[in-house]
Amino acid sequence: MSDVALSSSSGIRRRRRATRRTAARLGTGGAVAAIVIALVALWQVAVAYGWINGKLLGSPAGIWQAAVQGLDGGTLLSDTFVTLYETVLGLVAGSTLGIGLGLLLWFVPRMSGVAEGLSMILNSIPKIALGPLIVIWFGSDATSKIWLAGISTFAVAMISSCAAAREVDQDLLNLFRSFRAPPAMIFTKLIVPGALPWIFSTLRVNIGFALIGAVVGEYIASQAGLGHEVFVAGSLFDLNTVWLGIIVLTLMATVLGGIVQFTESKVISWKAQR
Amino acid sequence: MHLPAASPPAPSRAAFAAASPRLNVADLSHAFVSADGERVPIFERLDFSVGSGEIVSIVGRSGAGKSTLFNLISGLLTPQAGRVSVGRREDGSHGRIAYMLQKDLLLPWRTILHNAVLGIELYRKVTRTDLERARTLLARYGLASVADAYPHALSGGMRQRVALTRTLLVEPTLVLLDEPFSALDYETRLALEDDVMALREQNGTSVVLVTHDIEEAIAVSDRVILLGGRPARIEDDIDVRLTTHGPRTAISAREAPEFRAFHARVWNGLRHHTIQHSGASA
Repeated sequence: MSDVALSSSSGIRRRRRATRRTAARLGTGGAVAAIVIALVALWQVAVAYGWINGKLLGSPAGIWQAAVQGLDGGTLLSDTFVTLYETVLGLVAGSTLGIGLGLLLWFVPRMSGVAEGLSMILNSIPKIALGPLIVIWFGSDATSKIWLAGISTFAVAMISSCAAAREVDQDLLNLFRSFRAPPAMIFTKLIVPGALPWIFSTLRVNIGFALIGAVVGEYIASQAGLGHEVFVAGSLFDLNTVWLGIIVLTLMATVLGGIVQFTESKVISWKAQR
Repeated sequence: MHLPAASPPAPSRAAFAAASPRLNVADLSHAFVSADGERVPIFERLDFSVGSGEIVSIVGRSGAGKSTLFNLISGLLTPQAGRVSVGRREDGSHGRIAYMLQKDLLLPWRTILHNAVLGIELYRKVTRTDLERARTLLARYGLASVADAYPHALSGGMRQRVALTRTLLVEPTLVLLDEPFSALDYETRLALEDDVMALREQNGTSVVLVTHDIEEAIAVSDRVILLGGRPARIEDDIDVRLTTHGPRTAISAREAPEFRAFHARVWNGLRHHTIQHSGASA
């Protein structure tokens, strides 16, 4: 009885806290936006008054112009799409394989040490250094970038999901065993849901790795993509287009991160709201 | 053999309990192998049984091997010598042990209702009847309103009651408890002790409670088994008979005139063996 009363009043408190949190978040977001706008304005003013060299550093107005040109008959949208496609495909393929393999290794504890050792080695390879090999093997089109992005994400996904599966609460495992649950059931009802928070944080980290893989692949050899644009513009000293590419890449990473975070909040809705 | 407590059970129960024990521990010995290959015996020839509807506490100081005994009874460990056997039900079907720890072990991603039916789900498909039964039992423990909530929204006492519901829904013949209430506040704890005592009245379920809390052991148990020495042996097997005003509850048991005497007997028993042990090792 008193428990019920308690939980409803704590519900009100929680809601109040949530309102305050939203207000705080809006305030923080506003401050961040204000600082960014101020810096951009300062940059533009500095270029306009000749305090800094706009040719060497680019300028906000120039970036804006490059963006308008890129959108109006240029290749900005198609380049963005190409890089997005490479990144997402590589991310999904590499992470899915890595997570799947890492979790399944729970069934064979003897193997998991060996597999983890191997993936540690794989993880220690600077994946970018594989770029030239991958391009020779898979050509200069999107396939090689997908491979680079996939390889960049695979080992991380496997190592962390393997660890997540292994670090399941021993008492919970015993509880399942005391109910005489078969291993397949322990896997689906305990290991996998228990590893979900780790899987999502791995995915978030892997967005960055996949993007680096795709872009560096484009630097090495490509006909399209944001990396291609940035590389070409850089060799022509068109710094405004370089900046534009970097900004779009940053936006892309942010949006992908947002999608993962949103999915996480839907899938792991049981997590305590703090 | 052992008479049940004076208060609620009928005398006829004694004969029945002796005839078909719910749990029989016979000649149980167990040892660990230490890091340098030495064999460290934990138990030497333990013998005891638990009758139908009987509540038995196993008390010992920390390090007496209570947790090992718990794991041996629950089947998580296999004994090196001797036997742990679970008695059949009255209708001849297999008996079943379910346990509960200090940690409630609720799965955070499941609702209270689906946590409660976990034990069923792990050996067969959960039916609508099972869910109905779970809701009824949750309601009995005052959890009806939170059946569809997630564990993080509940207090410690409520969570432990969900764990108890999960334990009971697999219809065990014996419930094994390891310090289940030691993390709770005193009031919640007394309420849950009452819940444990109510088990045998409602379902005839037997209970084995492993604890270091002497007071709790005496308040809820028909018998207290004292583990002592190293390797541990049964040093005492005490029939707890309390004269209570009205039905026996966690509070009325503690107010019984015999309570202090039982407390002293268990306390002295534990102290005696510790002194003996430290003297022997010196």
